[in-house]
Amino acid sequence: MIHVFSFFPRLLQGALITIQLTIVAIIFGVIFGLLLALGRLSKNKIVNKFSWLYIWFFRGTPLLMQLYFIYYGVPMLFDPPLKYSAWVACYIAFSLNSAAYLAEIIRAAIQSIDKGQMEAAKALGMSYGQAMRRIIVPQSYRRLIPPVGNEFIMLVKDTSLVSIVAMPDLMRVTHEIESVQANAAIYLPSAIIYLAITTVCTVAFEKLEKKYSVYE
Amino acid sequence: MGKMITVENVCKSFGTLEVLKNINLEVQKGEVLCIIGPSGSGKSTLLRCLNHLEVITSGKVMIEDELLAEKVNGKDQFKISHKKVSEICAELGMVFQRFNLFPHLTTIQNIIEATITVKKVPKQEAINYGMELLKMVGLEDKKDEYPVRLSGGQQQRVAIARALAMKPKIMLFDEPTSALDPELVGEVLEVMKQLARDGMTMIVVTHEMGFAREVGTRVIFMDKGEISEEGLPDEIFSNPKNERTKAFLQKIL
Repeated sequence: MIHVFSFFPRLLQGALITIQLTIVAIIFGVIFGLLLALGRLSKNKIVNKFSWLYIWFFRGTPLLMQLYFIYYGVPMLFDPPLKYSAWVACYIAFSLNSAAYLAEIIRAAIQSIDKGQMEAAKALGMSYGQAMRRIIVPQSYRRLIPPVGNEFIMLVKDTSLVSIVAMPDLMRVTHEIESVQANAAIYLPSAIIYLAITTVCTVAFEKLEKKYSVYE
Repeated sequence: MGKMITVENVCKSFGTLEVLKNINLEVQKGEVLCIIGPSGSGKSTLLRCLNHLEVITSGKVMIEDELLAEKVNGKDQFKISHKKVSEICAELGMVFQRFNLFPHLTTIQNIIEATITVKKVPKQEAINYGMELLKMVGLEDKKDEYPVRLSGGQQQRVAIARALAMKPKIMLFDEPTSALDPELVGEVLEVMKQLARDGMTMIVVTHEMGFAREVGTRVIFMDKGEISEEGLPDEIFSNPKNERTKAFLQKIL
């Protein structure tokens, strides 16, 4: 039992990949998600419809299927078949998927801002873009923190799906050690690492929430 | 004397509900026009049509000699860019019933925000002028407070300073004291009186009859989307001609 803990360094290497993947997915997800949220709020029919369809597709199909499709399916659409690594496929799949969820979170936060704020901004002569950038979106930050924290934690765990396309993330490394050592107790240190990551996230997001609460 | 606002045959409907019926109005430079009337009479909607927060259904709105909106049956009669609308509306400052200060910005940031983003005033200049305005409304010691830490009366005074920072030619007040505790009404009215004395053109939708009588140069009584009586404050308050004005004043005074 004690001896499984000697695999900690290897597990930590896997954890590093898990963390990298999560951070990349959340950064791209927030940027792309913000654009999609603005699209959903836009009066432009084409932009609005595109955003709706995007979210509809990526929320409505399994993430694992999206991952398979991007890794195995998309390269076959080209002649000769496109070549990219599992890394690239995973980054793309997780970024695209989390963007869909974050778009709805961001849209809800923006819509929860009092309508009087947009009116006050317009009465001061601001354009829609200026009002969004300077007044509405910054106010949505604090309301975004709890659901984005939630999404972040989900993402940390969902990244374990990448073990299936041979990405050496924490899950995959754990599984490999288990096969070689024939000792399922290895899942215990692995779980501790997952818990440590999500605990850090939880605390960090709580701190962030406090910081942004000064004006509420 | 110059004409600041011209409203011609303006109608406004929300769906099938007619909120404004054929309104005609002119406001001259330096006037303090008070609009009174029961709730739901279209007072606020009229005010909001003047700075494009509401778009009229038909009629014509002019700010100084610039055409802001002209419509026949909901159809635009001319093309106007968003930029032009912003430019025209920058001439009008607006104060809201619920203050609508930006909660994520401090008092001074609230005041300088639009002067920097819209008018491109250099930051230090904006701050200096903002501090002058804060002094005018008696709140220079609150410059770094967030709105949530201020009383309603203080918030409304900051909101007035914020509107003034854009150096508007006309100030619109939409029931500026209706959301305030009674003991805080006076401090806001005091600032508004000061503005009137300084010659600002003002349109004030209000339930403060004392203010309308003392400061107003003209009073309009609105009822059911129409202007049913118009005159000097003394005439309207001591000797109303219209039956509905009489009934309203009897209830409120």
